[in-house]
Amino acid sequence: MFGLPDEFTPGLLARLERLRIRTRQRYPGLGRGMHLSPKRGSSLEFNDFRHYSPGDDFRYIDWGLYGRSDKLYIKLFQEEEDLLTYIFVDASASMAYPAGDRKFESAILTALALAYVALASGDRVMLRVLGGKGGKVDPSFVNGRHRIVELARRLANLRPGGQFDFATSLATELLAIRRAGKVFIVSDFLMLLKSVTRGLGMFTAASMDLTAVQILGGRELNGQGLDGDVEVVDSESGERLRVSIGDRERTQYRETMMRLTREIKSFCLERGLHYALYTTDHDFQNFFVRAVSDLGLAH
Amino acid sequence: MGFLYPGALVFFALVPALVLAYLARERPSRVTVSSVLAFRALRGFRRERFGGWPRLDWMFFAEVFILSLVAFAMAGPFIWKKTAPLAVVIDNSAAMQALTAADKSRFDVAREKLDAALSAEDGGGEISVYVTAPQPRRVAPPFDTLTEARLALSRIKPTDAPNDQTTLENFLGNLASEARVAKVIFAGANALAAPVPERIHPIAVGDTVANAAIGSFSLRREVLGAEALHASLSIANFSPETRTLELVVTGDGKEIAHAKETLGARETATLEFPAIPPARIYEAKLAPDDALALDNVAYATAGSVKNVSILFISPTPADAAGLNSIPGVEVTAQSPDSYSPGDLGNFDLAIFEYATPKELPGVNTMLVMPPPGDPVFGLTVTPDSKARIAGWRTTDPLTDSVNFRLLNLRGGEYFGTHPWMSQVVGGDGGALVLKGERAAHRFVATGFNPFPYLGRRNLPMSVLTLNAISYLAGLGASSSGYRTGQPWLVPAGVERVILPSGRKIAAHPGTLFTAVSEQGVYELVGPGGAKTPRAVNLADLTESDLSNSPPLKVEAANSGSAAEPVMEKSSLSDYILAVIIALTALEALIVYRRRRIVEAAAP
Repeated sequence: MFGLPDEFTPGLLARLERLRIRTRQRYPGLGRGMHLSPKRGSSLEFNDFRHYSPGDDFRYIDWGLYGRSDKLYIKLFQEEEDLLTYIFVDASASMAYPAGDRKFESAILTALALAYVALASGDRVMLRVLGGKGGKVDPSFVNGRHRIVELARRLANLRPGGQFDFATSLATELLAIRRAGKVFIVSDFLMLLKSVTRGLGMFTAASMDLTAVQILGGRELNGQGLDGDVEVVDSESGERLRVSIGDRERTQYRETMMRLTREIKSFCLERGLHYALYTTDHDFQNFFVRAVSDLGLAH
Repeated sequence: MGFLYPGALVFFALVPALVLAYLARERPSRVTVSSVLAFRALRGFRRERFGGWPRLDWMFFAEVFILSLVAFAMAGPFIWKKTAPLAVVIDNSAAMQALTAADKSRFDVAREKLDAALSAEDGGGEISVYVTAPQPRRVAPPFDTLTEARLALSRIKPTDAPNDQTTLENFLGNLASEARVAKVIFAGANALAAPVPERIHPIAVGDTVANAAIGSFSLRREVLGAEALHASLSIANFSPETRTLELVVTGDGKEIAHAKETLGARETATLEFPAIPPARIYEAKLAPDDALALDNVAYATAGSVKNVSILFISPTPADAAGLNSIPGVEVTAQSPDSYSPGDLGNFDLAIFEYATPKELPGVNTMLVMPPPGDPVFGLTVTPDSKARIAGWRTTDPLTDSVNFRLLNLRGGEYFGTHPWMSQVVGGDGGALVLKGERAAHRFVATGFNPFPYLGRRNLPMSVLTLNAISYLAGLGASSSGYRTGQPWLVPAGVERVILPSGRKIAAHPGTLFTAVSEQGVYELVGPGGAKTPRAVNLADLTESDLSNSPPLKVEAANSGSAAEPVMEKSSLSDYILAVIIALTALEALIVYRRRRIVEAAAP
């Protein structure tokens, strides 16, 4: 619909419009919005008093306090600004495998859905791609819900590929974005846990409110399609392993995969981060509606 | 253990070929995955597995095993087994039909005794069952169990044919010498003369039985064209006392002759009936009844004295008209141009007038004034318009009752000396009548033509002609007829034979008919269903002599050696084949069930 993926039905869009991004901190925005800003401003929410200085707006003088203290005080209010939302999409080669699982397509769907939630709330969205090949995504903020189509078109030209070091890459990105805000990282996180924790840790250190969305393929999680003697090749590093896969090995593989996801989730929860896991063999709409809280969203 | 076809072991080379093919097929498939992180833990499994890389599942091993078994079975493996093969010989000759004092036939007694003897055997080897008449033969492939052998014995019935004693002695001798036979049990009417070979265990059932028998029943036509037949029957009294025997001859069911004869102990007599009326089938019955009913009856048929059929080949077929006027003679005239040797199949004899065949005829033949230069007989011919008879053999059947002094030739031709035909009648210039035998057939050549003068105009010529035809047709000679157990050639035109028991057997002319174990009248069925009866009798007084069965003199090559166990090859192929089939079926079943499970699990 209008250049959006088929999953973006009017029903889903209506549901997404009812959602808001929830942050644990207040972040300054670039314009007026619906999120409380650390700045003082003109919202209805009282913040503090200060002595009147010439030039202050008479409308904010607290006349009641003046009557009690005979001193002029100006009422200060909380500023409400838009939220700077950063959505990082992992477009490394690993997102293309297993081919039948449509991991990368699911990651794009997730990113667009999150972007639409933000845009519909009047927030600014910056879409950033980690790795990948094909079209370039403009690393600038967009606002207004109509810009979702533009974002979808940019992502449509993107193809997964290449290899990057997660922690290093996120560090570079962190330097580039400078302003704090809400960060969504959509990835399979199939990398060394150390790299994942370092990368996510840098964002928390930079006072970013972070949500990690892990996308895994259904077949990938269960080890389906692999049987007998198999030489598995890492899609990014090219590392090769010869393994014999039977029922027993398949069980152990699945347990390992589940353990990896549990470790990432534990890390996120310990650090106060949001974590959501989407396996591609499930319905996307159901996932997005049910995982609202895990994704750091609110109705 | 050994192999019948060790060369087939080369097929074991297929086993490594299969392993290589399997390894090629089972080499690891390369799969690109998002990350090998989770696979690293699996490497330990491969190292732990016996044999390591590659993965060989049980089905592969099962298939390799099956292939190995196939190659093994193709080599024909066998093991040596110690066995004691047994040969059981039961006398099924006509004499075994004789009833004993216990009102059982000799054959039944022999079978009971054999059954008892078999019960004493341990059944360690295969058992072969043989019968003796009409010729010794094995009734079926060797049996593995005593039960099968007993069943085979119970199905055997005595025949109407006699034993060929010499053949039976040789057969038993050979059997006793056979390395593969550990023991021979022979049950029969004849005892074995000492020394009895070690391996033969005789069971004699030949109790002395008084018996009277018809030996032979023959018919002959004394004179060409005569309707009445001359019957001769021989009878014998094989009892220790004098007996009066009564013989009744019936023709087509009507009594036509009757005789009584008193015979002393072991005395024989010939009864002659010179003029019995024509009938299709004759039956002679001897009274009183005795222990062996078979030889109290004999049959004869007029089919053996049928009309003489002649093929007359001549450029002047009208000459055959004179022959046709002779009673009992059927003449078919044919020109030399249309003649072929196959035409002789339906005729008793052939006459070539002014012509000769291009090959020696397959029937008795008369040549009348053959042309010179014929290559088959090589007759040297000298024509003489004034040829006349100068001499003849007085004792020859051709010249019997011929008044040569009144014989007027009116011209003819003389024959020169012939290599295998001798002169019967001669003239001044050479032989005028020659006769000889070649290839079991009779041949007569005349240097004059008797046919235009047949009848009262030239009586000596007529008598000479009748003599020649009688000689060529074999008339006047006594024939003992056909006997049980003796095969005969199927006559021309016969398509099938109906046995006395009613069984029908397809027959081919010119081949030996061997189903001749029954006494009685056989019907020879020709084209259009025409039936010709043929009588077959036991006609063997030696077989009928139940009081004096001569002992069999059996000599075995290893008569001194005791019965020894025989080493026998026992094939393993059947067992291996059964294992192959079972394994293949099991594998197929498991594969099928696996597929069903996968299909059921599929979304």
